[in-house]
Amino acid sequence: MTALLRHQAALLLRSQRWLPPFILYAVFLGVGVQGGQPVLDSLGYAAAALLPVAAWLVRICVSAEPPAAQHCVAAAVGPGRAHLARLLVALGGAAVLGAVATVVLTWISDPVSSDHQTRVPVLPAGAAGLLAALACALLGTAVGALTAWPVLRTTGRAVPALLLAALLSLVVSGSPAQAAVSGLVAGSRSGTVDLPVLPLAGSALLAAVATVAACALTSRRSP
Amino acid sequence: MHRALRLDKVGRRYNLRGPWVLRNVDLTINPGDLVRVEGTNGTGKSTLLRLLAGIDAPTEGRITGRPRTAYVPERFPSALPFTPVGYLTHLGAVHGLSRPAAARAAEDWLHRFGATPYARTPMSQLSKGSSQKVAVAQALLADPELLVLDEAWTGLDAAARAELERAVAERTAAGGAVVFVDHDPDRLAGVPDATYAVREGALDRRTEQVTAPTGPHVVVEVQGPPGGRLPDLPLAAAEETVPGAYRVTVPVSHSDVLLRTLLTARPSWHVVSVARADIPLDQEGRA
Repeated sequence: MTALLRHQAALLLRSQRWLPPFILYAVFLGVGVQGGQPVLDSLGYAAAALLPVAAWLVRICVSAEPPAAQHCVAAAVGPGRAHLARLLVALGGAAVLGAVATVVLTWISDPVSSDHQTRVPVLPAGAAGLLAALACALLGTAVGALTAWPVLRTTGRAVPALLLAALLSLVVSGSPAQAAVSGLVAGSRSGTVDLPVLPLAGSALLAAVATVAACALTSRRSP
Repeated sequence: MHRALRLDKVGRRYNLRGPWVLRNVDLTINPGDLVRVEGTNGTGKSTLLRLLAGIDAPTEGRITGRPRTAYVPERFPSALPFTPVGYLTHLGAVHGLSRPAAARAAEDWLHRFGATPYARTPMSQLSKGSSQKVAVAQALLADPELLVLDEAWTGLDAAARAELERAVAERTAAGGAVVFVDHDPDRLAGVPDATYAVREGALDRRTEQVTAPTGPHVVVEVQGPPGGRLPDLPLAAAEETVPGAYRVTVPVSHSDVLLRTLLTARPSWHVVSVARADIPLDQEGRA
């Protein structure tokens, strides 16, 4: 599995197709977040924006190899394991991006509530932001896995489905990503930090289910 | 490969309501088997090979005894962000080699297929034939127990085609199984242990009597050690010329395997001469 992860990570890095989502995420943060803003608001914004980026990364990783090259790897390790490695590399990329954004935003933001009256402890705030980012990365990976090959095979269906699913995961109440982000925003209003452990667990569960489903389909669908 | 790969009543269709591409396929691939699959275009040859390689799962039926498998597709894309050496090192590790062993095997196989000059050229700049060599090398890196070749010879130059035939002979001599599809009827002619034809989704074993091997052969004259018995030589026709000396005829693809067997036998045999013959001598004698 290590060799497989390394191969998929090298494919992602060397193809440079990771650049557009990373740049878009940086631009999005640059527009929406400024230094000196309340820390939990900024972290909530950054976590929410990470979800579509994670889904996009899954799309990139799934199609990083042309089908014939995918078949060579699938024969060696099994198509399910090969697909699992693609999803894990995408998740890893999103998690790294989210962690870097969290550290930077915790550093440059003001550790205060949204009305600038109450102080918010920096480290717990950063930790809560990190967990929320991870929850969004996991749910984004689930969205990406369920809207890419082998579940949806035509780009015309897959891309709108991805966008719609990513949007719904951020706004529909009951979604773990929505819960994590709104938890940060609510905490910012009240000046308290709640670690979004439950949303993280929910996201992890959904991501695991989506991953198992997608990997199980790999050998049953035509390329 | 310690046990056989078995297909029991295997069927495959790509959609729930779609037509069956293959149905009721029973097939056993034993260690050391060389199997040829024939059939006109669109009959399901490639689907059968993908099932054998484990890329596809059967819609019905069972496949058991999966060995360590490698697969070569018909057309290998060069749209990969690696050099051949870099790609093969990754794939060797994916096939289970350690990274140093994978890097060594990558260099060795690129050398065997005459691809050393562009071993460090980005794959996006390679010709079709050159990237096909990378695909073939990828499959041979880790001595797979089952090698599945879907028109792997297409696009290779003459030297690389012959090298791939020799590599197939080496794999089967080492106890690995090889299954191949090729449009050239002379590919490894007379060598396969079994030939199957895919017709209308079913698999027929070609049972017509295999005629004496045709095509280019190599004649090797060997002198045995005193009292030595000729080792078991697959596909070789041996004829004792004088007591202790033999004239052995094998298909060209198997000459290296033959010589290696004889020279590494204990006690080893003495090779007197090696010559190429377009028709096996026993046929010439009969003609």
